[in-house]
Amino acid sequence: MWGYVRDIWQGAKSIVVGHIVTFRNFWRPKITDRYPHSDAGKNWRPGPGYRGGFALLKSDEEDRELRCTACMSCARACPVGCIHIEGEGKGKERHPVSFYIDMGLCVYCHQCVEACPKDALTMTDEYEISGTSRAVLVRNLEELVAAGEGRTEVSRVV
Amino acid sequence: MSETTVAGLTTEEMIVNVGPQHPSTHGVLRFVVTLDGERVNECVSHIGYLHSSLEKIAETLRYEQYITNTDRFDYLNGLGNELCYVQAVEKLLGIEPPLRTRFIRTVMAELKRISSHLVYLGCYGNDIGAVTIFLHAFRERELLMDIFEAVTGGRLLYNYLRIGGLRNDLPTGFGDQVHRFLDHFPRRLTEMTDLLTENRIFIGRTRGVGMLTAEQALSYGVTGPSLRGCGVPYDLRKLRPYAAYDQVEFDIPTFPEGDCLSRHLVRMEEMRQSLRIVRQLLDKMPDGEIQAEVPRRLRPEAGEVYERVESPRGELGCYLVSDGSDKPYRMHWRGPSFYNLQVLPEMVRGGLVADFIATLGSLDPVAPDIDR
Amino acid sequence: MANTVVKTILDVIRVWAENLARHWGIPPVFVSILAWIAAFVFVIVLVLLMVLLAVYLERKVSGYIQSRLGPMRVGPIGLFQTPMDALKILTKEDIVPRDADKIMHTIGPVFFFVVAVAGYVVIPWDRGAIAARVVDLNIGVLLVMALSSLGLLGIMVGGWGSNNKWSLLGAMRAVAQMISYEVALLLAIVCVVMQAGSLSLAAITADQGGSLLQWNILRWWMWPALLLYVIASAAESKRIPFDIPEAESELVSGYHTEYSGMKFGFFFLGEYAHLFVIALIGTILFLGGWQSPLPGSIADFVPGFIWLMAKALAIIIITMWVRWTLPRLRVDQLMQFAWKGLVPLGFVAILVTGLAVALGLGGGGI
Ligand code: SF4
Ligand code: SF4
Repeated sequence: MWGYVRDIWQGAKSIVVGHIVTFRNFWRPKITDRYPHSDAGKNWRPGPGYRGGFALLKSDEEDRELRCTACMSCARACPVGCIHIEGEGKGKERHPVSFYIDMGLCVYCHQCVEACPKDALTMTDEYEISGTSRAVLVRNLEELVAAGEGRTEVSRVV
Repeated sequence: MSETTVAGLTTEEMIVNVGPQHPSTHGVLRFVVTLDGERVNECVSHIGYLHSSLEKIAETLRYEQYITNTDRFDYLNGLGNELCYVQAVEKLLGIEPPLRTRFIRTVMAELKRISSHLVYLGCYGNDIGAVTIFLHAFRERELLMDIFEAVTGGRLLYNYLRIGGLRNDLPTGFGDQVHRFLDHFPRRLTEMTDLLTENRIFIGRTRGVGMLTAEQALSYGVTGPSLRGCGVPYDLRKLRPYAAYDQVEFDIPTFPEGDCLSRHLVRMEEMRQSLRIVRQLLDKMPDGEIQAEVPRRLRPEAGEVYERVESPRGELGCYLVSDGSDKPYRMHWRGPSFYNLQVLPEMVRGGLVADFIATLGSLDPVAPDIDR
Repeated sequence: MANTVVKTILDVIRVWAENLARHWGIPPVFVSILAWIAAFVFVIVLVLLMVLLAVYLERKVSGYIQSRLGPMRVGPIGLFQTPMDALKILTKEDIVPRDADKIMHTIGPVFFFVVAVAGYVVIPWDRGAIAARVVDLNIGVLLVMALSSLGLLGIMVGGWGSNNKWSLLGAMRAVAQMISYEVALLLAIVCVVMQAGSLSLAAITADQGGSLLQWNILRWWMWPALLLYVIASAAESKRIPFDIPEAESELVSGYHTEYSGMKFGFFFLGEYAHLFVIALIGTILFLGGWQSPLPGSIADFVPGFIWLMAKALAIIIITMWVRWTLPRLRVDQLMQFAWKGLVPLGFVAILVTGLAVALGLGGGGI
């Protein structure tokens, strides 16, 4: 009998405690955000190591436009093989004439950036990458160079 | 259709499909369940909906290229899977990673364990009908995700570990961020315990449900919290310490009953132990190199290796065969979810439909980990 | 005071309408028919508005409890979200499974909704004005209870007609659950009836008149009945922890798994309409109905039906709080709880109330 009463008492207590927890949570600040309408949502930038879009970086040397020498290291490192490069020229002159990254195939692993000996390729903090067709996910040389405008650093966690 | 008689009444059996489109199948799973009214007579699992050939893909990729794929089968334990694979390759190559690397790997694996158990907690609450705990658990998990993002640049798919090292060292402010989490989280864990674990309805739903005996569990190869919930203290972190687990003190929580409640309690306690491990590791974190000397071309000698780690779901094994080239000749994963799931029919037979869902959830399967 | 104002205004409107009808030569029979229709439209509109409000509140409350914001996009603080969803449901394709019993599949939700709304006709909204109630039955409580068990038929028909095993399971569970909890609910109501000495909802309200202290919730001998009513009515409205007929994680969606479009809308709205009826009845039985908490004070200026709805809304918010806190019971535990816990408690409640009434504490007595 005593055990029965205690059982009911404990059951009731646990239920009341649960309600106190939800009541407390009701008044806590909310953690969701009205992306993309809120200011915080619009201005949010991911950290420096973020793996989003791609960009080709400009060279510091005067006679070169891009740092890339079309050495294919990145294409070889890529586990899914979604980088396609054609290069032109010999030695120091060598530069890419076409550079495609199929971001629909990409697994965003960052291996290509790490493989690059010239720090020419980087991933960016662009995170609104979705498109309405597969074709818009394929980035070509111009787009990559344009994305690299104003960037000097290769993406890495600091 | 066979007919059974209950107290003089003749009832017909009913065959229903639980899944592949069912709210509580944790991914895409399918069970063909034979019901007698509300009672489960038989349950057959049909798997393979999420098979993605991850083992075959390994044969086409160089050793260092495969790391990113390991995040993808048991997506709740990405860093733990990477740890398993990387250790297997290191064993094959005979490389010893630096001490700091081992520490960082252990910290990340333990944080990942907490985050995986949080997902379990939320989903299990959802299975039992307590919807709020789901979002509370995910709210706390978000803090962990922020930590992972700061360290690795990714929230779910990390590609952080490297053969013999790490992709990068810890970012500045990592210690503070983790310490903030360590201070904040135990309070929230208590709150979640109040909300779900202590609730009488929850206890009523899980105590004595989905019984699993230690013999059954061992004979089916069940590992992880599901085995420790039967009172068997089997934990690879203690039995054969890898990474930096030999440097820290922690307990292996076990509960002897073997029902859903004890499996749940094991996981809740494991989160506390993980916090303890992380705290110790952060205090002792050594300085130094993070990358061991590794040849530019990874060509292990012909041979084979089996490496295992304790994932949040149980023993995760990686079997690699090398033929001396830069790609594995053959690879196999021992996914704990696959083995744990096999015992499900034994556990649910004779229970109610609601018990079936509760039992399935308490095994914490991850569908891609079953199918790979 | 305000009640009299409302009453006067309504009376003036009625007299005006009657005169107008006489002027146009419409026979008085039509006028009363028109009055009925007007009253019914009033109820339906009220019900729909309340339902939309309740759905909105449910989303907000659940969101806030779960650290979310809830609906925010449509209209200021998401106020227009539920009307928009209602529109969406109206325009969605109505999918009927190939092997379903088409007629049953259609009748189920309509029946459920109609029955849920029909319960409103006996609710005394205010002091005897035309809007007070559509009909004043002297067995009002009984009618509401009878209607709410009739709603079951809609569930059963819909669940069976869907030709889906989950639907069937859900419908069977619903029947088992509702029949068990109806017993407990009626036992709780019997206590109130003993106290008031009448089955008419208006009389029950009148029994609690005078002051706040006269409300049944503050009469200690009604407390067992109150507890019983709270639990049993939660089960009646099929919400967590008693939502096993739907049991999203077990039965997909229970009896309305195969419904879409407006048919689903009928089930959905019917459920909230039913929830609101139960809250209204709870208000009338225990919280003094339309009466203001401090009669004779400034609170009297608020019309009675506002008090009634405010109290009912408070009850609804509490049921939401419960819903987003507790896990779900299992079907056998639910039945055990009903027959082994609530029904004995019901007899205790009747005993306590009976003693109190016999000792002269209560009002009417039978
Ligand atoms: S991120 Fe990975 S998958 Fe994507 S292009 Fe680079 S190497 Fe290839
Ligand atoms: S981006 Fe770097 S790795 Fe790729 S081709 Fe250019 S220089 Fe070589």
